[in-house]
Amino acid sequence: MDHEASAGHGHEHPPTTIRQYIIIGVILAIITAVELWVSYAGLGAIEIPLLLIMSAVKFGIVAALFMHLKFEHKIMTRMFLIGIVLATALLLAVIALFWNDATDNRVLPDRSESSAPAH
Amino acid sequence: MAAAAHESGHHTSLGVDNRKLLMWIFLASECLFFGTLISTYLVFKGQSLVGPFPGEILDIPLTSASTFVLLMSSLTMVLAVYGAQHGRLGLMRGMLLATILLGLTFLGFQVYEFRHFGHLGLNLGTNQFGATFYLMTGFHGTHVGVGVLYLISLLIGSMRRSGLGKERALWVDTAGLYWHFVDVVWIVIFTIVYLIPE
Amino acid sequence: MATAVGSLSQPEDRSKIWEWMTTVDHKKIAALYGVTGFTFFLFAGIQALLIRTQLAVPNGTVLDADLYNQLFTTHALTMIFLAIMPLGASFFNYFIPLQIGARDVAFPRLNALGYWTFLVGGVMLTSSFFLGGAPDGGWFAYAPLTSTEYAPGKNLDFYTVSLLILGISSLMGALNFAVTIINMRAPGMLMMRLPVYMWMTLVVAFLLILSLPIITVALIQLYFDRNFSTHFFSPEAGGDPILWQHIFWLFGHPEVYVLILPSMGIVSEVLPVMSRKPLFGYSAIVFAGAAIGVLGFAVWAHHMFTTGLGTVPLIVFSASTMAIGVPTGIKIFNWLGTMWGGNIRFTTATYFAVSFIALFTIGGISGVMHASPAVDGQHQDSYFVVAHLHYVLFGGAIMGIFAGIFYWFPKMTGRFLDERMGKFTFWALFVGQNLTFFPMHFLGLAGMPRRIYTYDEGLGWETWNLVATGGSYIIALGVLVFLINFFKTMRQAPTAGDNPWDGGTLEWATSSPPPEHNFDVVPEVRDRDPLWYNRDHGIAAAPKPEHLHIHLPPPSYIPLVVAMGVALLGIGALSHIGVSVLGVAVIVYGVWAWALEPTE
Repeated sequence: MDHEASAGHGHEHPPTTIRQYIIIGVILAIITAVELWVSYAGLGAIEIPLLLIMSAVKFGIVAALFMHLKFEHKIMTRMFLIGIVLATALLLAVIALFWNDATDNRVLPDRSESSAPAH
Repeated sequence: MAAAAHESGHHTSLGVDNRKLLMWIFLASECLFFGTLISTYLVFKGQSLVGPFPGEILDIPLTSASTFVLLMSSLTMVLAVYGAQHGRLGLMRGMLLATILLGLTFLGFQVYEFRHFGHLGLNLGTNQFGATFYLMTGFHGTHVGVGVLYLISLLIGSMRRSGLGKERALWVDTAGLYWHFVDVVWIVIFTIVYLIPE
Repeated sequence: MATAVGSLSQPEDRSKIWEWMTTVDHKKIAALYGVTGFTFFLFAGIQALLIRTQLAVPNGTVLDADLYNQLFTTHALTMIFLAIMPLGASFFNYFIPLQIGARDVAFPRLNALGYWTFLVGGVMLTSSFFLGGAPDGGWFAYAPLTSTEYAPGKNLDFYTVSLLILGISSLMGALNFAVTIINMRAPGMLMMRLPVYMWMTLVVAFLLILSLPIITVALIQLYFDRNFSTHFFSPEAGGDPILWQHIFWLFGHPEVYVLILPSMGIVSEVLPVMSRKPLFGYSAIVFAGAAIGVLGFAVWAHHMFTTGLGTVPLIVFSASTMAIGVPTGIKIFNWLGTMWGGNIRFTTATYFAVSFIALFTIGGISGVMHASPAVDGQHQDSYFVVAHLHYVLFGGAIMGIFAGIFYWFPKMTGRFLDERMGKFTFWALFVGQNLTFFPMHFLGLAGMPRRIYTYDEGLGWETWNLVATGGSYIIALGVLVFLINFFKTMRQAPTAGDNPWDGGTLEWATSSPPPEHNFDVVPEVRDRDPLWYNRDHGIAAAPKPEHLHIHLPPPSYIPLVVAMGVALLGIGALSHIGVSVLGVAVIVYGVWAWALEPTE
């Protein structure tokens, strides 16, 4: 693993061209537009998973291509993944703990009258 | 230039630059920072005792515009990195400037949004939505602000006679990592706060 | 140490104090961490003595309730953040470059900034005693006791602001250490050839990198609750005090491993050398350390078994807590296996290392008891928990640190600490801590709650409380003798050679104390114990080159400037926003100067 590479520090550039970067930017913009459409379309049960998947795809595109993770030494990906995976896991765990909290007996206001669902 | 051989970017165990590695590990740490803020937001989602409630005041078209601005700033940032790596200094400076302006535009949107919400009666202490929303988006905005300062320093540095030195590509690349990260965090926040219905 | 490039440009007569203030040498920064950390250790020890004196007899009158609350809170905060962590950071700083064969850490100026920021945070936390009262809500500062309603003073603001600053300091240190270990290793120093101490350091660095941002958010939320009228943790306005507990322990439990893993690493260095035998089961101990790091993030809610988590979470966190006992057990058997059949030298360092195993096992076993929610419900908030955590932190972390001090003192100073006084210190600490903390098990089971400032007669707690107080004085005596030992030793001539214990790791390959550039020739590593390998294969050390042409980073005052900015920022957060703005300006200026400062 050590000293395998004097390559990769600074002098080798990712192979992406300006044209390709712009195409990636356009793709990102298109996905955002689709997201917006989905949030207004009222697709029912698949709406939230769909939105989450699209935002994850955008996240992945930016990380892999704009942040050059695809072309970097794998140590960078590993380091970043530690943070992403742990943050996601803890987020899910905390949410699961709170959203299934049988002991939470606070009385929340009934808002079925005052405000209809947002969209 | 025998002295150049000791430069900290060289002779590393993995052949990668220390500063870039530092930035990536720092970003891993930042994931936990924003992860906790987002967790808090989600824990208190729908737990506000009094209004204004998010569905009543969030302006999705407006924020879509600011989201688009930040997304495009990622594109200009990556083109600045391209310019730095290929020695096209004009491209680099132009794109750095564009990124800075787009970042400031995003901040302008946020300032407007915060003031607007304030007029509608949503303050930090109003309800759980206000507290979690302002804290999360506020810290994101702070990160954008720090990023703007970071890029302005690079731009000024590149104007000096010595430019950014022989490690120009690395400086801009590392700043770009930070900038893109702030962008991807917004991708997540935008989805969770604005797009997913209450 | 003269370096051909560096020394010519530096004036020869710079004052000593300025030299220490601007140093970026990892060994000097380690010394700063060590001395500051030990000073805070003494300070927190005095707080503990006051607490024990108050509790020696029923209805004690030494302290009043308010001061008692401040003392037990700051005792914990000082020991954790200002003593054990910086003492750990001191060893990390000193031995990371030496053990991996590097000339310095990856970011020397960041390293200096980490120390100065730590000092700012430490002074700020301690100064609260003289500025209206120290934090008094326990080190975990449970809501709603921290709300302005129940804590109207500045006490808890000192808590949030100084812990935020200390967190920034630790984060900078941890980032630096992680990059250094991953990317600055000597030729041939593969990851699986790293000394176990380096592995534990790496795990600690990642625990900090990943857990500090969590507490940062919690502290900011608490600060906002107290100063900007949010209600994150106050239930009457929709907040949730349990959320604080979750976020706090999400950080707090990894933090426990941050405190203990360095000592496990030290013991893993001391035992093989003192047993003259390679470490038994290197891979197992490394993976066990990594497993502790991973599992450490999955057990936080065992601190909250009595908050009504629900059945499923109780089972999950109970299981994960029991699971984390497995890698810990693996390590204990590895240490025993290392000593088994070895030709053991019973030095003071050995004494401390062996007692670490025994005492840590006691603390570990009482920890596994708490993994059962049913048992935990009985122990919760009683002195049994106090006994458990002190066996882990004193019997574990502190005994490990003392093992490290006695083991590495010859390398750091060229002098041996006196062994007779050292053994006295050992016995005093060993006997004293067992007398202090073992009876707390009985007190806890007899129903004595934690954090009470006094108790009535006739509850059956008198005897053991008196014994515990006596034990704490014996500990103090041991520490006093250690201090005498230290000052006496420092007056003697350095007599320790390069490798007095016949150690196998790279730090023993250079002189004692090491030159500023650490190694004349960066060693080539062929084995996990490179010096033993070279000795057994007849490989001579590389000859000293005639002309040293080693560039070292020049000293810099800029870390100090940035740390001053952080201090102003913190002071502003406690007083007036204008000071904070000034602090931010100083930080921005400092970072700009930092980037422009030549490091050639």
